[in-house]
This record gives sequence, structure tokens and C-alpha cells, in this order.
Amino acid sequence: MMGFYFSRLVEIYPFFLKGLWMTSKIAFISLVSCTLIGFLLGIFRSSNSIVLKRIVGVYVAFVRGTPFVVQIFIIFFILPEWGLQLDAFPAALLAMAIMGSAFICEIVAGGIHSIHKGQWEAATASGLNLVQQLRLVIVPQAMKVILPPLVGQYVLLIKDTSVVSVIGVMELTRVGWVTVVRIPEGLMVFSLVGVLYFSISYPLILLSNYLERKMAV
Amino acid sequence: MIEFKNVNKWFGKLHVLNNIDLKIPKGEVLVICGPSGSGKSTLIRCINRLEKIQKGEIIVNKTPVHDKHTNLTKLRAQIGFVFQQFHLYPHMTVLQNVMLAPVNVKKIDKSDAEKIALKKLEKVGLTEKSHAYPAQLSGGQQQRVAIARGLAMSPEIMLFDEPTSALDPEMIGEVLDVMVNLVSEGMTMCVVTHEMGFAKKVADRVLFMDDGKIVEMGTPDAFFDNPKTDRAAEFISKILTH
Repeated sequence: MMGFYFSRLVEIYPFFLKGLWMTSKIAFISLVSCTLIGFLLGIFRSSNSIVLKRIVGVYVAFVRGTPFVVQIFIIFFILPEWGLQLDAFPAALLAMAIMGSAFICEIVAGGIHSIHKGQWEAATASGLNLVQQLRLVIVPQAMKVILPPLVGQYVLLIKDTSVVSVIGVMELTRVGWVTVVRIPEGLMVFSLVGVLYFSISYPLILLSNYLERKMAV
Repeated sequence: MIEFKNVNKWFGKLHVLNNIDLKIPKGEVLVICGPSGSGKSTLIRCINRLEKIQKGEIIVNKTPVHDKHTNLTKLRAQIGFVFQQFHLYPHMTVLQNVMLAPVNVKKIDKSDAEKIALKKLEKVGLTEKSHAYPAQLSGGQQQRVAIARGLAMSPEIMLFDEPTSALDPEMIGEVLDVMVNLVSEGMTMCVVTHEMGFAKKVADRVLFMDDGKIVEMGTPDAFFDNPKTDRAAEFISKILTH
């Protein structure tokens, strides 16, 4: 029996490696883009401009208030009707960027809000411009508050990449589906899928726990 | 050097600055006192535009502070500000705190900025703490670093917003000593404070505010010994009996 499983594993593992590679690629690109956009939006959200605040607020509310699958469908099936046709892979990246940046925006805005008003005033009084105030004084301090939930959000984002399988991107979950159709060992297939996801996210979970302990002073 | 012309400011319905007219010549030390909520902090916070005014004009060194086209960086470089709660940057060492504005605003070379910063720290007697973090210092030391940080831009004006009010009594002296030294160097200073000893010793004029208005202004001797208004007399008797 074990020998049988083993031979099956040998037979299917190249597909899984390909799926794992695709998942890693989506995850990596998404984490980078979500972080960049998320920080920018978070800074807008905590700015003094009521217009910027409102616009970002609506964006965040919309993204957080709708299921990720629906967002993917909108991007993949509905945008083409308005003339924007994307392949599955770029559509997946776009969907991830929109969804992830909204969550990271809230984390960043929360971190910036936690900084005492006096820090802004001291930086202002000394003649620093707004960008310098953020870069040199506010964000470095806010990172202490931002970092633990940010890494936690990364774990969620990595797991959420599985949802893009619905539009046919050949990542880990999709590979699992396709494999299960051909061979009957569903338990083995999805256990393998689970283990592979875990192998990416567990180091980040450990990092998140570590940061949480380290920053909780 | 600093001129207020018919300045008015409201926080919502509260009229915090009511028709303020005031001239502060170069080299003057002006002490501002008054009950809490009288507008004295707001008054000095308008000088470097930490607060905006709704009516009137403030002119610093011929620069209209509240003009849209005013180069705020240039304006603020001439004005050092010291806060009641110090507001040092906690993630930076003392030296980095003092160097930050010279390096980033004046674009001074790092090694030169370090020399300037160390000189200013020497002035406040904290050279040996230059590599400590603010949290490792006492309140008095933190406030002295904050003064050094304000001085690092070589300002012509120093503004102090209740610089000793957050300090333990035994630390007030060291901060006032640093300020008295500044006076002897001819710095133009506006100091919101209730330290009457300091006012009597170094102030050229004392300004008493209440309800957003300048109620009385005069030399320290005239103000403390012979206040012209009942409101000022009442205030003086209250702070002197405690």
C-alpha cells in the first residue's frame, strides 16, 4: 500500500513543484506590490486631506466588504466587457494587489495614527517637509506597530493566492484539482497541497510571533 | 523682528486670539503668562505657523508668515521651538536628534552637522549623552536636548512653550540655566512660562493674556509689583502663593 502511494507521489510531484513555483511567484509579486501600494494608501488615509481620506476610505470599504472570489471574477470576466482583457496570470496579480493593498492600508494607517501628534509638530517646527517628516520621523516609529500585523497579513495573502485557481491559474490549488480528476487519492493530493502551503507560510508565522513578542514593549 | 497685526484666531466658536497687536524687537526676551486656555501657547505657535490664523498678519523678519507663497522651510529654519513635552524623536540617539534638521533641511554635510550638533550639546551640558537614546535621559536632560535641537539650525528666534511645566521640580533649574545662558547671548526669545523667578531675572517684558486678549504688558518689576488690572493682580497672587 505505502509503495503504491509512493509511486503515485513520484509520478505527480513534478506538477506540484510547478504549482508551488507558480504560487510562490504570485505570492512574492503580490506581497511586494501590496506592500508598496498599501503604504502609499495608508499614508493617504492618515493625511489631512479630507478628499484623499474619503477616496481611500471608500476603496478600502469596498474591497473589505466583498468576497475575494467576486473581485477576481469582476477583473477577469467583467473588465473585458469594458475593454480591459487580461490573461489569468496578470488578472490574478491585479486582484491580489487590489485586495491586499486595502488590508495593508488599514494596518499602515493604524500605525501612523498611533504616533503622538507632538512628533509631527517637532518635525514640522524644525523645517522638515511632509515627505521627510514621514520618512525620517513618523514611519520609522510606526513600523513598530505596523510590522507584526503586516507579517500576519502576509500569511493571509499567501493563503489567499489559492483563490485565483478559480480563473485557471496553474498554481498549487489548481494543480491539486487537476490531479484529483485523474487519480483517486484525494486525501493524499490535498494533504500534499496543504503541506506545501504550510512550508511557505509557517516561516512567516514564526516571524510574526517573534515580532509580536519583540515589539510588545 | 516679530510683529502681530490685528491677529485673530478661532477654534470653532472659541475666540482664542482676539485682536492681538504685538511687536517683539530683536534681542528681546518676552515672557508670556496667563491662566490655562488664555491663548498663550496658541500665540507662539502661530509664529512658526504650527497654527494658522484666520485674520490679521504676522511678520517675522519681514516675511509674512501666513502668506500662501511663504517658504515655510526657510521661515522655520530661523525659529527654534521647544515643547512642553520635549517631543524628542525616540528612535534616534541624542546626536541624531540634533543633527536631523541641519542634515535634511539645510543639507549640511554629515560630518559638519555632527560638529555643530556636538557644539550645541556642549552648550546645554550634555556632550557625554550624545549616543544615548531619549528614553535613557531624565526629563530635564531631554528638555536640554530639545533646546540643543532647536539651536542646531542657528535660529534667530527661540520659542518656548511651557518648557519646565512637565518637569520634576529638581530638574527645572538646569533647564532655566540653559535658557538664561541663551539670553546672555542676545537670542530673541518668547517664553510661555509661570516661572516668575526666570521672568524677573531675564525678561525684558512680561505679557499677560486672558481670554485670547493681551490684558497687560510691561517690565517684570512693574507687572509683578504693580499690576494695572485686577485680573493680572489676581493671577499673580495665585501663582505666588503656591
